[in-house]
Order: sequence, then structure tokens, then C-alpha cells
Amino acid sequence: MRPAIAQYYPGDSLMHRLDPRAKFVAVSALAVALFVRDSFVGLAVYAAAAALAYAISGVPVRWFWRAFKPLLWLVGLTFLAQVVFAPGIPFFSFWFIHLSWSGIELAAFLSLRLVVLVLAGSVLTLTTAPIALTDGLAWLGRPLRRIKVPTDELALMVTIALRFIPTLLVELDTIMRAQRARGADFRSGGLRERVRALVPVLIPLFVLSFRRADDLALAMEARCYRPGIVRTRLHPLRAGRADVLLLVVTAAVIAAGLLV
Amino acid sequence: MKGAGRKAGRAGAQPVDSADAAAATVTAAAAAAAVGAAAAGPVPAGMSLACHGVTFSYEEGREAVPAVRDVGFELAAGGSLALLGASGAGKSTLLQLVRGLDEPEAGAVDLDGVEPGGEGYPALRREVGLVFQIPELQLFAPSAREDVAFGPRRLRWSEERVAEAVSAALELVGLPEDKFGDRHPYALSGGEQRRLALAGVLAMKPRLLLLDEPFVSLDPVTRRQLAEILGRLKDAGVTIILATHDVDLAWALCDEMLVLCDGVVAASGAWEHGAAATDLLVRNRLREPQLVELWRRLGRDLATAPRTAAEAAEALA
Repeated sequence: MRPAIAQYYPGDSLMHRLDPRAKFVAVSALAVALFVRDSFVGLAVYAAAAALAYAISGVPVRWFWRAFKPLLWLVGLTFLAQVVFAPGIPFFSFWFIHLSWSGIELAAFLSLRLVVLVLAGSVLTLTTAPIALTDGLAWLGRPLRRIKVPTDELALMVTIALRFIPTLLVELDTIMRAQRARGADFRSGGLRERVRALVPVLIPLFVLSFRRADDLALAMEARCYRPGIVRTRLHPLRAGRADVLLLVVTAAVIAAGLLV
Repeated sequence: MKGAGRKAGRAGAQPVDSADAAAATVTAAAAAAAVGAAAAGPVPAGMSLACHGVTFSYEEGREAVPAVRDVGFELAAGGSLALLGASGAGKSTLLQLVRGLDEPEAGAVDLDGVEPGGEGYPALRREVGLVFQIPELQLFAPSAREDVAFGPRRLRWSEERVAEAVSAALELVGLPEDKFGDRHPYALSGGEQRRLALAGVLAMKPRLLLLDEPFVSLDPVTRRQLAEILGRLKDAGVTIILATHDVDLAWALCDEMLVLCDGVVAASGAWEHGAAATDLLVRNRLREPQLVELWRRLGRDLATAPRTAAEAAEALA
């Protein structure tokens, strides 16, 4: 079982080694540019840049597909809605449907934009371990501490949550197996029955999670964790020349996309 | 019969010695009645088991990790098998394959001589009980009685039959229904929870009982109670497979052994003692049972090695 979120493809490519902060800033900037620029040429430049970054990461293409598949319906819906409702000179009309070449063009553009956006985003999530990403975000969010936003604590919460997703999935699997061994059936019956069948699974899972949370809190206190103070890190984030280069290249790509 | 069971139940709160004495009064017949073996009439109490070339691997990320490979063994009805091996040797996987929670990639698990897909196989599978590691984690119902009734109800038994099975199972594990039936499972002690979880499986009247490390993190008194319960089930004719690291309890309870090493059978059959057998156990991060070691150090014939301290004392007296 693999969680659909926070997919990380372990590796040692240039993309993997880059600082999570630099990657996050670059991808965010590219995303903004994608929405500002509305021509196919500009889109092509950004698509090429995202594809190149993906190629450098060395992640198999089917991993992108796996991340993209759940969003397919969104892209499809966007396309259909634009085709049907976009203004333009229709070459085909039926009831409320008016097909026009400009509508199809707009639909294609908007759908492709989503694809490029997901591609760029997946380079970030596939090459950055979730914990590194949270650390990076916590660093980027530091200025918010001034207005009393507990960024480090939020980052820690996210880190702990991410850390326990695989653990909980394993426990979920074990409990489901144990109840199946006692005759539970999670696969047949109507919706009502299926939801009812989950009760013997969810109760032990909740109890276990609360117990685990208690233990973890105790263990953290025993190791002198105190909220509200800035912690030092075992692996401090270090931005290097490659990260600066990434930001420069990204800026150049964005400018190129805007100017062509 | 009921009185004998209750006696064993009360023994739970008493010191080990008197628990011993109380347990001794519980006859195998009482246990047989509790698991429904006696009521089964001409059908033998235990189920026979035969694994042929059972192979299974887990998918881990990009690759398949073999868990058990070409495992073959037979266990007669009423037999008792200690499933030994280091952590990660494939013991839990094998038990789950026998229970049918996973289907083997190759090979087959025959129950009572019936092959998978044969007539009555699904029904036979439901007569295989599996007690998971730390089974108290599955407790969920608002009362001990309801939790134990979960399995029997899934078998679509009549309410009357369910009530009977629940009562007998609670009695057998030493948590008599009149005292413990209405208690909330989470309000019980750790040892009581473990026994309640066992009752949840026993209430389904398994003829083949698989136990995955049932003794983990139990205090000595509860370990002993649990070992006594298993001994009674064995005497009642239930076929038992006990996966454990505890060689002493395995030796006390089981007539046969099977050592898994990296998913492959390293040894199986009757327990043998001697340099080679001990070496095999040590290589699998185990050791020879203490009473066997005692017998070896005393220079006694290892074929007569005692299984329990009581047997040893008798032989030495």
C-alpha cells in the first residue's frame, strides 16, 4: 500500500540534491508564470523546462502518470467545460452546446496548462523527501513567526503526521487482517454494510493512534522538546551554487516564456 | 464441567502455584466441550494440514521480496507444531497463508485432505483460527461479551448458539461470563485483554488454531495461564501451530517443530536434541530448551528430556 500523497522517489540526481527551498521557490514562481502567460508558445517554453527538469530527476515516467491519474478527471472536466461553454463563433450548435474553434483552442490551452503545472509540481514532490520539504517550508515561513504564527510547530506537526502515515497503514492492514480472520468482510454488501464493517477496524486504529500519540509526546518531553523556541537541526539546510543556478535558470525560463 | 472452568478462571488472580493446582482440575473434556470438539461427534476434533511448495512474496516498492519459498510440511489432526525461526523468517506470513488471508503464488494448503477449490474448502478455512501478534489490538466492542461474539455472528450462527459459544470461550480462557461479560475490553488488564482476544478466536470453534507469538510482552503469570489454556486445547484434540521465539514454551507445548530460515524450511519433524539440532537453533537466533540443556549437562539421555519443570522434578526425584 502506498499513500497517494507525498510520493517520493528516492534517488541521487541533481534534482534530488537541490535544496528543498530553492526547488519550492522555483516551482512556485513557474506556477505563477504559467497562470500569467496565456499563449501556446509561452506554455511550450514552460512545458519544455518542466520536462527537462523531470528528465534530469531520472524518475520513471510512470511515476508522473501515477501522480497525474487522480487529476485526470479535473483536466477532462476543464476541457469539456471550456469546449462547451467558451464564447466564439460556433461551427456546431445543439441545444446549449456551441462548439467553436476558439473554444476548443482555449480548452486545450487550459488543460495543457494543468498538465504542465502537475509536471512541475511532481518534480518537486518526487525528488524531495516529505520531511525535507516540510523543513524547507518551515524555513521559508520563518518571517511569519513575527506575527506569532508557530511555523516550526506546524512544520513538526506535518512531519510527525507524514512520518506516521506508513506506520498507520501497516497497522490498518494488520487490524483488517485480524478482523478478516474473525470473519469480517470488507468487500461485499451495500454502502451501509461496508461502513458498518469498518467499525471493528477504526476503533482499534483510533485507540492505537491515541496511545501512540501519548507515548510520542512523553518521549519528546523526555528528550527535552519545548514548543516555542527555535530548534537547531542535525542536518541544517544548505543552499549551494547549484541552488542559486536553479533560481537563475528558472528566472531566465520565466522571462523567456513571457517574452516570446 | 462449568465449575471446573470457573475454578480455572478464579485462579487468574491467585499466585502461580495455586493457579497450577486449579488448572490441573480442569480436564481435557471440559476444554473439548468449550471448543465444541466433543459435540462434533464422529468428526475428529482437530484438522489435518498439508502445505505443498507454498511460495509467497511481498511487493515492496519496486521489487518483490520473497517471504516464504517452497514450504512443505504435514501436520496430522490433533498435532502440535512449533513454528520457529528468527524475526523476518516468514513465520507470520506462513500462518496468514494457512488461514487464507493471502493466496500463495505457488503451492497449496490442504485442509483435512481437501485441496483449495475442493468441496467444502471455504467452510474448512473458517474452522482455522488465527490469533495475531498482540491480538488485544483488535478489541473494539463495548463489552467483552460483544467482542467475543463478533466472530461467531459473522459465521451466521443462531443467537442461542452464539451465546453458548461466547460463554464457553470466556470460561475456557478464565474470564467467566458472569464476572467479565459486561466489562469493557479496554478496562481489563493487559493479560485479561490478551485472553479475551484469544476467546474471540476460540468462540468460532477452530479445529486448527494458529498462534503468532502469543506470549509476547506478557507477565509470567499470564504466560503460564495462556500456556495452560493451549495445553488444554491440545489435549482436547485441536491441531495447533505455535509461532514463537520462546523455545521453552514451544518445547513444553508442541510435539513437532519446524524451523524457517529466510522463508525456507531448515528443519521439520519431531523435536531432536543434540549438537546438530542445537547448532541449527542457534544459527536461527534461538537456543535449545532449558530443560534439554539441563538434561545434557546432567549427562542424561536427551531422548527422555522433560518438557516441564514438574516432569523434570519427577524424573530427578
